[in-house]
Amino acid sequence: MNSNARTGSDLRLVAALAAIVVALAVVSLMSGAANLTPRQALAGLFNGQGAEGIIVREIRLPRTLLAVLIGATFGLAGAALQGLLRNPLAEPALFGAPQAASVGAAGMIAYGLAGATSFAVPLAGIAGALLSVGGLVAIAGRRASLTVTLLAGLAFASFAGAGTALILNLAPTPYAALEIAFWLLGSLEDRSFDHLMIAVPFFIASWILLGLNARSYRALTLGEDAAASLGVDLNRIRMMVVIGVALGVGAAVAVAGSIGFIGLVAPHLVRRWVGSDPARVCLPAALMGAALLTAADIAVRLIPANPNATSIELKLGVVTALIGVPFFLAMIFRERRLLEGSAS
Amino acid sequence: MSATAGNAILQATGVSVRLGGRPIVSDACLALRVNELTALVGPNGAGKTTLVRALAGLLPSEGRIVIGGRDLASLPPRERAQRIAYLPQGNVFHWPLPVADVVALGRHPHADPFSRVSGDDRAAVARALALTGTEGFADRPVTTLSGGERARVALARALATQAPVLLADEPTVSLDPRHQLVVMGLLRDAARAGGAVFAVVHDLTLAARFADRVVVMDQGRIVADATPAEALSTERIAAVFGVETMAVSIGGVSVPVAWREI
Repeated sequence: MNSNARTGSDLRLVAALAAIVVALAVVSLMSGAANLTPRQALAGLFNGQGAEGIIVREIRLPRTLLAVLIGATFGLAGAALQGLLRNPLAEPALFGAPQAASVGAAGMIAYGLAGATSFAVPLAGIAGALLSVGGLVAIAGRRASLTVTLLAGLAFASFAGAGTALILNLAPTPYAALEIAFWLLGSLEDRSFDHLMIAVPFFIASWILLGLNARSYRALTLGEDAAASLGVDLNRIRMMVVIGVALGVGAAVAVAGSIGFIGLVAPHLVRRWVGSDPARVCLPAALMGAALLTAADIAVRLIPANPNATSIELKLGVVTALIGVPFFLAMIFRERRLLEGSAS
Repeated sequence: MSATAGNAILQATGVSVRLGGRPIVSDACLALRVNELTALVGPNGAGKTTLVRALAGLLPSEGRIVIGGRDLASLPPRERAQRIAYLPQGNVFHWPLPVADVVALGRHPHADPFSRVSGDDRAAVARALALTGTEGFADRPVTTLSGGERARVALARALATQAPVLLADEPTVSLDPRHQLVVMGLLRDAARAGGAVFAVVHDLTLAARFADRVVVMDQGRIVADATPAEALSTERIAAVFGVETMAVSIGGVSVPVAWREI
């Protein structure tokens, strides 16, 4: 049919989104307490001289890279979960994955079991995410009906919420409690290359696991039985997606705290251009996620949280939730007929 | 049995399936032959869907299923999928994909993870679209189609695989009379083109009219495997379905019409 024309338009979209991500990354390098011009920012980035060099390379570059990588990971994780569960409302945060990862990572930090830049923190986060996503896919099971999926997700999210509340409750000192509470809100402030280094290997593993199955998500549009008859190994793909989402989300939460809704919004936004094909959504959704989170991280630096104390920023997780939740409600409103149908 | 019937391409011997400890299919033996459309009939709960899923390799089963000389259980999923196309009940489409993309999913078993769409793939998709008369809405989202159109698209998807065996589970359910005839005709054409087609059919009239052979199932067992006239005798239908039938002869074909419960 018109597959060549379509491949061309997909490539153009990917190129356009990539250009937007790069442009936002440059803006991100310019944004912050010290105002830098684009020229100063780029000079600081490339020659590393003087105060600009330190600000851009040591403070803003790791932060920007983390925003891009975490956004891409959430975008891809959302697209993959939606493909696996055949459900446009699937999103790691709705299933309690970041919340569960927070329990693991926050527990590690709160009780001083590991330093914030130790590999133990992402590993604990990944373990938490693995439990929640694995439990969800196991409960949602073969039919993966919308009602069961969302109810199970709600249960996991609430349970994980109770877990973080417990950690706050039992925090050794009020300072520790405040620190955990702030960390839970999600932020990329003051993240260093050490944070980047502990997360990146897990991100890459997550992208590989989730991206390799793109074709299978498309076959799943016919339902699990038909997909299996087409040669899709359902147990293997379920396992790969669960582990892929857990690796990505767990590592992201371990370095940046809880950031939600990018996984819901990013795939939805790119569908207007690539259509509903769950395979074609993956790469654009990752780039859209990168753009969204980078833009949100620029916004928290530009919006003064407290005019009297310019150093306090809005938390990134707060901003993505403030934008994401109304978006989610709008989607439920639009899909309500489908939701009512599947509830019966 | 039709004169053009060839050798058995799929041979099932002593196939039994237990689900949750309960026997659903017991000791089923049957052969699917090239150029034959075989209808599987039986009351609700007889185990028809379970038998078809077992033959498709989607359920663990006891006994032996051999396809093209190879043991089904030993085939990797992809090779199995190249040999057996399976059309499940209900024609589910979860995403509003264009019809051409849905049909192209039938080529999934032939694709390597990194391969591009080949000329063979394009030809097979175009052929499946043409055979089922769906090329007119190839670019429309599949979710916007009527039930009859969806049934044809689902069948086109299964045909695009160009597998030697096609298993269809109630392909005519919830279709209007014209589309029932269209779909049964397409299945028979697929058999005539060199395939072995096995279809669960609820309508005994359609089974008698289109099938070369009819397999009757009751309570998990195959109780008849013969020509339509023999398998669907008045006595057998009475015993298996508990209904009295009238045999009506139309154009030389005797078809049973369910008349009243016994």
